[in-house]
Amino acid sequence: MAKFLLLYRDAAEPRTQPSPEEMQAFLAMWGEWFQQFGPKIVDGGDALLPTGRVLMPGGEVANGPYVEAKEVIGGFSVVEAEHYGSAVEIAKACPIAKIGGAIEIREFAGYN
Amino acid sequence: MMQDSRTLVDHFFRHEYGRLVAVLTRSLGIRNLELVEDVVQSSLSKALVTWRTNGIPDDPAAWLFRTSRNLAIDAIRRTQTEHRLLSSKLLAPETRDEVANQTVHFAEEVGDESLRLLFLCCHPNIPLESSIAFALKTVSGFSTDEVSSALLITRANAEKRITRAKERLREIGTEITELDNAALESRIDAVQSTIYLVFNEGYASSGGHTTLRKDLCEEAIRLALMLVASVPSVATSSCALLALMLMHSARFDARVDMHGSVVLLKDQDRSRWDWNRIREALDWMSKSADGTRLSRYHVEAAIAWEHCRAESFDEIDWSMIAVHYKCLQRIHSGPMVRLNLAIALSYSSSPEIGLTFLSDIVKEDRTRLRPWWDCAMADVLSRMGNFEDAISHWQDALLLASNPDQRELIAKQIAQAKNKKATPSK
Repeated sequence: MAKFLLLYRDAAEPRTQPSPEEMQAFLAMWGEWFQQFGPKIVDGGDALLPTGRVLMPGGEVANGPYVEAKEVIGGFSVVEAEHYGSAVEIAKACPIAKIGGAIEIREFAGYN
Repeated sequence: MMQDSRTLVDHFFRHEYGRLVAVLTRSLGIRNLELVEDVVQSSLSKALVTWRTNGIPDDPAAWLFRTSRNLAIDAIRRTQTEHRLLSSKLLAPETRDEVANQTVHFAEEVGDESLRLLFLCCHPNIPLESSIAFALKTVSGFSTDEVSSALLITRANAEKRITRAKERLREIGTEITELDNAALESRIDAVQSTIYLVFNEGYASSGGHTTLRKDLCEEAIRLALMLVASVPSVATSSCALLALMLMHSARFDARVDMHGSVVLLKDQDRSRWDWNRIREALDWMSKSADGTRLSRYHVEAAIAWEHCRAESFDEIDWSMIAVHYKCLQRIHSGPMVRLNLAIALSYSSSPEIGLTFLSDIVKEDRTRLRPWWDCAMADVLSRMGNFEDAISHWQDALLLASNPDQRELIAKQIAQAKNKKATPSK
């Protein structure tokens, strides 16, 4: 069994704040996800605030998350799966994917 | 991990949002409303992540209260100027027991707090349309987008109305804590009409987002329930308002057929009405009969009941309804009441009488009543066998109708009238 990091990527441009009603619906979707994959979700993870700092080579510190593409990392979870295929299946059922967000799936090297 | 499958009641976030905004605004003052809204929104975001991992806590409302309170303290500590004064108000209960007590106190006062915020925004200097938008956003926890879809206005317009109410509230400078009983009683009419308007916005048109419109009706009913419980001195008219809204909302689903088209009252399947709700309405109606003052809501509830109790459209007691409308005209006159009286008379007496009453409605009022006046004219004329004039009125109505459902319904009437005109024997 390998561990995989699910990195939730949100659109970088600020979208409108979700309404309380939408947030409740979103929480219910997470509930279903945990129900479905409970034991395989090693760590529910956390959300990341949209602010950040980037330490550049040479010591310069820049404001804001490192925006490479049009996305920023908005949160993460850790799951357990046999291989990439089943990790992708777990990610597909994740609410982030269901509301149209992108998820980067990375396998832990297991060196540690 | 999600520990168990504890779930939240429907609209929990929305209602808690409204409650928390009201409670914190009371402590921090209306001038800090924006900060309060940010704090409450953040505590919901925090709940979203914490609860998805750790499960929903035993008392989610208390969790949200503690979180919002702490976030508010943090936010205020960052703003130096008001720091001392405000955080002392929030910091007061420090020990665990005190926090627990605060929670109990909070739970009891919740309805009251939200209601007080509603009374605050029903200030005579705030335009009604702004009060409604503000109440939905702040007291009821709708987002600006939801306010705009529910009220069928643009997002920019919704934003403008909400902002205007906030600005006026800041100018007026009255705090929730300063609302005394006299102020509450003098604003009860405005509060009742705001609630009724919220309901009508949801009920009157079937256009737009159906779920949201139904939510609007339910929200109005929730606010009326709070009002009945909290302001006993005017409870009878509030009971009547509640009865009225329950009776109308019992017909909500039956107004649309399986293809999503609007169904006229006379063609509705009465078995699809929510009879439990109608019974509930009757309970409130009998409670409303205790007082000495007859409000418009009493009379309108009586009219709604006449429609409910008839077993079919043909069995509606139109003469009773006409009596009620005459009574309503004395309490709450207006072009819509005159139009409805004319319709009732056209059924209880004759279409000719109805036509006379409709024709007596002055031109300015007709303009305000369009396309309803045109539809009523057409209906009366077609029942008199004058299909040609009926069709021409329906065609006017078709041009004036604002939403696709109305247009579809009117087009159907035109087709039927044309059919009858072609085969007069029928």
